[in-house]
Amino acid sequence: MIEVRGLSKTFAGRGGLLGHRAVPALREVDLRLASGGAVSVIGESGCGKTTLGRILCGLESYDSGSLLIEGREAKQMSLAERRERFQRIQLIHQDPYSALNPTRTVRQTMLASLRLRASATNRSKAWTERRAAELLELVGLDPSYCLPRYPHMLSGGMRQRVVIARALTVDPEALVADEAVAMIDVSLRLGILGILRRLRADLGLSLLFITHDVAAARYVGEDGQLYVLYRGQVVEQGPVDEIVQRPTHPYTQCLLSAIPVMRGLERPGPDRLVPLRPLDDNVEPPGCLLADRCPQAQDDCLLGRPPLLPAGAAGHLHACLHPEARSVVAIPEQTASSGR
Amino acid sequence: MTTAATELPAPSVGRPPRGRRYRGGLLAVAGKALLRTPGRVAGVVIIVGFAVMGFVGPWLYPHNLPVNANAIYAGPSLAHPLGTDFEGTDVLALLVTGARYVLLSAVVAGFVAVVVGTTIGLVAGYLRGLADLGLSRFTDFALTVPGIPLLVVLSTVYRFTSPYMMGVVLGLTGWGGLARAVRSQALSLRERPFLEAARGLGLPLRHILWRELLPNIAPYVAMNLLLAVIGSIYAETGLFFLGVLPAQVNNWGVMLNLAVFSAGAIGSPQALTYLLAPLVSILLLTLGIVLVLDAVDEMFNPRLRTL
Amino acid sequence: MRRRPSRAAHLGSGAGDTEEFEGLRVRGLTIVYGTEAGELAAVRQVDLDLQAGTITGLVGESGSGKSTLALAMLNAVPSPGRITAGSVTMSGIGDITRLRGRALREVRGGVLGYVFQASQNSLNPLKRVGAQLLDLARSHGVPQPRLILGEAQRLCERMGLDATRVLSSYQHELSGGMRQRVGIVFALVLNAKVLILDEPTTALDMLSQAAVLQVVREIHAERRLATVVITHDIAVVAEMADRVVVTYAGRIVESGATGDVLRHAAHPYTRALLRSIPRISGDISAAEPLPGRPPDLASIPTVGCVFRARCPLALPICSEVDPATVSVGPGHATACHLAAGPLAVPERTEEVAG
Repeated sequence: MIEVRGLSKTFAGRGGLLGHRAVPALREVDLRLASGGAVSVIGESGCGKTTLGRILCGLESYDSGSLLIEGREAKQMSLAERRERFQRIQLIHQDPYSALNPTRTVRQTMLASLRLRASATNRSKAWTERRAAELLELVGLDPSYCLPRYPHMLSGGMRQRVVIARALTVDPEALVADEAVAMIDVSLRLGILGILRRLRADLGLSLLFITHDVAAARYVGEDGQLYVLYRGQVVEQGPVDEIVQRPTHPYTQCLLSAIPVMRGLERPGPDRLVPLRPLDDNVEPPGCLLADRCPQAQDDCLLGRPPLLPAGAAGHLHACLHPEARSVVAIPEQTASSGR
Repeated sequence: MTTAATELPAPSVGRPPRGRRYRGGLLAVAGKALLRTPGRVAGVVIIVGFAVMGFVGPWLYPHNLPVNANAIYAGPSLAHPLGTDFEGTDVLALLVTGARYVLLSAVVAGFVAVVVGTTIGLVAGYLRGLADLGLSRFTDFALTVPGIPLLVVLSTVYRFTSPYMMGVVLGLTGWGGLARAVRSQALSLRERPFLEAARGLGLPLRHILWRELLPNIAPYVAMNLLLAVIGSIYAETGLFFLGVLPAQVNNWGVMLNLAVFSAGAIGSPQALTYLLAPLVSILLLTLGIVLVLDAVDEMFNPRLRTL
Repeated sequence: MRRRPSRAAHLGSGAGDTEEFEGLRVRGLTIVYGTEAGELAAVRQVDLDLQAGTITGLVGESGSGKSTLALAMLNAVPSPGRITAGSVTMSGIGDITRLRGRALREVRGGVLGYVFQASQNSLNPLKRVGAQLLDLARSHGVPQPRLILGEAQRLCERMGLDATRVLSSYQHELSGGMRQRVGIVFALVLNAKVLILDEPTTALDMLSQAAVLQVVREIHAERRLATVVITHDIAVVAEMADRVVVTYAGRIVESGATGDVLRHAAHPYTRALLRSIPRISGDISAAEPLPGRPPDLASIPTVGCVFRARCPLALPICSEVDPATVSVGPGHATACHLAAGPLAVPERTEEVAG
């Protein structure tokens, strides 16, 4: 189990010498990823979701709060323990084009870490070759086709599968998928999402799924938790379908309203909201972080920042002074279901 | 294991698996890249020609070249295709026997500069922190040491009759720029996702430096190797030409020096071939290297390798 | 086998061939790429009508030739590709594939507004946006280039941008969504009649995507443009387009009004594509991945149906004969043997939404 409590991270000034200004990337985030569980994190670009994923993989430091892996605080681990534990949490990058070394074949990429494992566990060289083929097959690739090839000879979808197979060489306990399908054709996304789904079911991997595509989050972790991040703060969290169907925070509602409606097959939800105006994170408001963009903002929203509180249904939390459940996501057309 | 979602390659159509082509190794790939255009072939021919000349040449002539007092500063003739020098020695023989020193020391200098510069640059750029601080200061120091005056000073205590010593000294004074450049490349590469992944997989440092990082800057390093060779040729012939180093050995720089300062080749047409022979050789060799430079990127970048 | 382009059912064309057509009309367009393996057709025999007042969604996977098709509309197919047959006719101008030199340059960026794929990065990083607009005006021979800034300002405001700030900004000072809008400003500032958007939302998050799509929709209506959105994401098209044109391996396989195509998808590819998208409500496990892998130029069959290798319903005839384009409803056509033959009962879409 991986758990973060009160995690905060601030990036020091961006914008040159004069505009020296701290940018909070995470604000007191609490999150639990149970073994075999799934947590999806959604939010727009720059909301801190990538930073959160990188901290969980040990690739980024944090300012305050704690990160617990199997109950052990990361900052108190020895270097060896740290390395050992974070190795079990593998990151799947967004960009399959830069996540593979362009000068190394798939075979070299896969064998590098497998050899390390083989020598640590006294296994033969033949085992590494076998294992590499096995893992590629697991992610739906033909080993004889892929192994001798360089990354640029493979399609984006195939590369992302290689990236997943490479992560599996160290027998990880958790995967952090950071926008893992954003750069892949829509028609091929489901294949990748299906692998993540199967890895959870078959190997019991836990999954932190970072995305802006809520439907994809639903596909890989329908039984899991959904966290909505806005400017580094968790503004709403709960079971995936509860949040999708009965969101109470206006920001979540805007995110869900932005999902395209497949006209003909679906109709827009009755309370669908118009898109928010662009984020301006230059100002740090004293009150609710969303107040300047919120369609439902009232005067008191400018004064105090709402804490994350229970919202009725079990496990559903929100941080809003004036929450109201709205039905914003598309509804399947009943007419279409008469076929077949 | 089930593989419900497949993105298998279309087996019959498209390209046949051509992974085996690469098993020929870097040499096969390099050979192919080098012979792909007429310009590169010309470059290879020039370089190989000079290499053969430097390797075999000295054995074709006696240890001490014959002196012909009857033909001093003779023009080109059948017996002396490039004429003779101030004591009647055949210029072609001088050229051929002088090549070994020049080429050997230039190649040694290039290698020393590239090995030292690349290693220091890679380690500094990848490790950052204290290692970077120390190595960068060391690089700055190397950059500020004036190479030529240092050689002049050294030549008072050492005679540089060995091309290897000459090469090592030239190399050790010339790696700073490359180290700087490699460091900045390593700095930007280390943040790339594939290196982050390598760290995340727990791969050891030497694997990351030499197997993951180096191949990505290999074209750059190889190009710098060739440029360093050119630079070293200029530097050493320049030094000998200026007469800073004692003219104890037979090489192109010494020939130039004698042609200008002893034979007065600038003013008299008699010794023209004596002056031009080493000059043209240097230019030709430079041209050969420049022509080959073009192929370097293709050799090391898998994307550009033609199939 | 060559499909005869002139039939009642023009794939990709509008409801009917009216006499006074306003917009961009593509007929029998074929584009080949000269490669080591010979000339390969990236786009084959495409008919397409972009009518003023209509948003057309051009859907296809990578390798479907959709970007090549878009560039052909500007007569800007990059070498080694070239247009070997067909025409691109702009009402009031004529066949764009015959234009050359200055005349062609003035049409590009003039009447034809093009927003590049990854237009987030298509601005010059060293010049302010305003200066680049002036360059555009000068290169198009606008008599008073400065006047263009006023128009740009109006467009920026219209799109919810702070015009003064944007025009004096460098590329890196703008967010992805803002740059995409600036790309649209560039496309429209010289009063374009046709707006071609190549993957307008690919690198954007959901909120920016929704905002950009809304802006496009509004400006489209206000200026009565002929708009075409080229994308791999059929959901984007389903949300905003009036007509959908589905391409596969350089061929148009289905076209029709958005609602018709989504409800009664006639081509197996369209149906598979719709099934492969995870949806926000309904049974999520109903989503099924598209089998096989996307076509690449070298593996596109030259005879027979281009989709047959991935088609679950392929028949022997599919590998021998090019499927003809048949009408399966008003303004709705498909190129599939199953739709043409006795099996052509307009099949109801299976429960896509679940």
